[in-house]
Amino acid sequence: MEKTVIDAHNISKVYNPETIPVYAVNNVHLHLREGEFTALVGPSGSGKTTLLNMIGGLDTPDEGKIYISGTDITQLSAGKLIDFRLHNIGFVFQSFNLIPVLTAKENVEFIMLLQGVKKTEREKRMQQLFKEIDLEDKINVRPAQLSGGQQQRVAVARALASRPHFILADEPTANLDSVSASHLLDLMEKMNKEENMTFLFSTHDQRVIERARRVITLVDGRITSDTAVVPTSVPHEQVNS
Amino acid sequence: MILLMAWRNIWRNKSRSIVIMLSVAIGMLAGIGVLALYKGMMTSRVRTVIDSEVGHLQIHHPGFKKDYHPALILPGGNALLKQVRSYKEVKTAVPRTLAQGMLVTTTGSSGVQINGVIPELEYRASNLKQKIIEGEGFHKAKKNEILVGKKLADKMKLKTGSKLVLTFTDTSDNLVSSAFRVAGIYRSGNAPLDEINVYVQLTALNELLLTGNAFHEIAVLLNRDDDLQAMQEKLRETNPSLLVESWKDISPETDLMVKTVDQYSYIIMIVILIALAFGILNTMLMSVLERKKEIGMMLALGTSRLRIFLLVLTETVFLTVAGTPAGILMAYLVTSYYQKHGLDLSGMGKDMMASFGFETTIYPSFPWEKLSTILIMVIGLALLSCLLPVLKAVRLKPVEALRR
Repeated sequence: MEKTVIDAHNISKVYNPETIPVYAVNNVHLHLREGEFTALVGPSGSGKTTLLNMIGGLDTPDEGKIYISGTDITQLSAGKLIDFRLHNIGFVFQSFNLIPVLTAKENVEFIMLLQGVKKTEREKRMQQLFKEIDLEDKINVRPAQLSGGQQQRVAVARALASRPHFILADEPTANLDSVSASHLLDLMEKMNKEENMTFLFSTHDQRVIERARRVITLVDGRITSDTAVVPTSVPHEQVNS
Repeated sequence: MILLMAWRNIWRNKSRSIVIMLSVAIGMLAGIGVLALYKGMMTSRVRTVIDSEVGHLQIHHPGFKKDYHPALILPGGNALLKQVRSYKEVKTAVPRTLAQGMLVTTTGSSGVQINGVIPELEYRASNLKQKIIEGEGFHKAKKNEILVGKKLADKMKLKTGSKLVLTFTDTSDNLVSSAFRVAGIYRSGNAPLDEINVYVQLTALNELLLTGNAFHEIAVLLNRDDDLQAMQEKLRETNPSLLVESWKDISPETDLMVKTVDQYSYIIMIVILIALAFGILNTMLMSVLERKKEIGMMLALGTSRLRIFLLVLTETVFLTVAGTPAGILMAYLVTSYYQKHGLDLSGMGKDMMASFGFETTIYPSFPWEKLSTILIMVIGLALLSCLLPVLKAVRLKPVEALRR
């Protein structure tokens, strides 16, 4: 039986609770198992990013509990939460967010250094990751010299480097052209299939939605639908051929 | 990785970092320059006190300095002089007969200290010959000759060859007066002393005081300043009934001045560093605020607040310390130049400098002994400057920072 990775119970986030309360997330239940490839969709302001932030331990719910691989992260102190994120959650941000003064290799290595991974293992993992993202020739290049698509692939490699339980990707394709977006989705799908990595995206992008095997729709902070779907799109390589 | 990131981060805005590094370098130059100047001034002052005024040590009858009574000669003075000269640490030791009296001319009178000296010995011990600016100094054949200071000469309208009368009491408390002719006018660089001290030949003064071949004072000049305390203790042990004083005892104001100026120079250094701290603080604050999103992302990925603290701290230390070697080097070069050629401060007022006992040409000396303290102060400056930026950085909430 597949392990439960994310288990969110009755979580709510309210802004301006004492004046005009606005529910960014309203009594949401979310259950994700290992290996899922899920898209969280909804219009702007529907609460996708807030929900993702709370699941990622970047924000705290006003109500409810969030269990990540069995740990209630709402009970963790700020310091422990940072450490928990380091070892359990991978992040991919919309605007890549690589550290500009580090090379692609150093950006990926940075996470492993924080985790205290030994040099030999770091080297081995980096070699493997850069092969996966097909940027072996760009390892010593700084982010500014990479295209948006390449930067996002490095960001995915960085997220994977820490061997997290799941990856949260907030609008990962929003700043990418269609070819780059397709490449990135190919990579993430491959990681999902080959390494059974769990992905949860927040997105507007139809290209992502088409690839997702589960689509959760959020409207006004509430889940309005949660559907298992069969991906309709074909991988980028097949499109080109 | 923290070191690497910190180093690269400070070069993200090259011109801003270079401006701060230059500020630190110039601040160092100014601070060390002031320390070097003060050190040069104090060294010069101490050297004047030792070499031209009192020597390293002086030996007197224990009661002599209470009222300068001429009867209180050094008991066994000649044997003692021989004994003192026998120590290898001693460069020279000279006898002096002292009397306090009045100098009278046709235009007026002035209280003076009359120093009876053996010219050839005194010329060596206190550079008296070099200080003579008018006249030839003592002539062996002429007994009643006197050297007066420039300030006294101006006050009493004395010139070389002028005649004057010295009046004082002898060992039996009888009033004695004798006429002297000015053989030279000297300037020591310490105007107050030049106004008080006059020099006559020891034999001439002894005849008038009725002290025979005795004297009141032995001034001792050592080969090395470092031997001062040991030699003072040695002389005290061998002559427990005599008063053995070092220049610090005789001229406590000079010792106090050295210590005060030492502290004062540190205060100036601290003021310069505090001024620099605001510049560094501003730069680091801008740097942190510009990178809010990046720091937020690092926190989101799992970078601990301690590591963020270390990153900002290291950046500040790099930024501060990077300009320090250049500042020290510039200070060393400037100090070395003026140490060789001298820095003429006569523009500040020749008379004012002299009235405080300072030469008008100062030879600054690089303050090597203070370098470690300066470096500690620079590190302290970096720590102080990074406090606010560090607080801003570690208090960032990733979710808010990433929203920007």
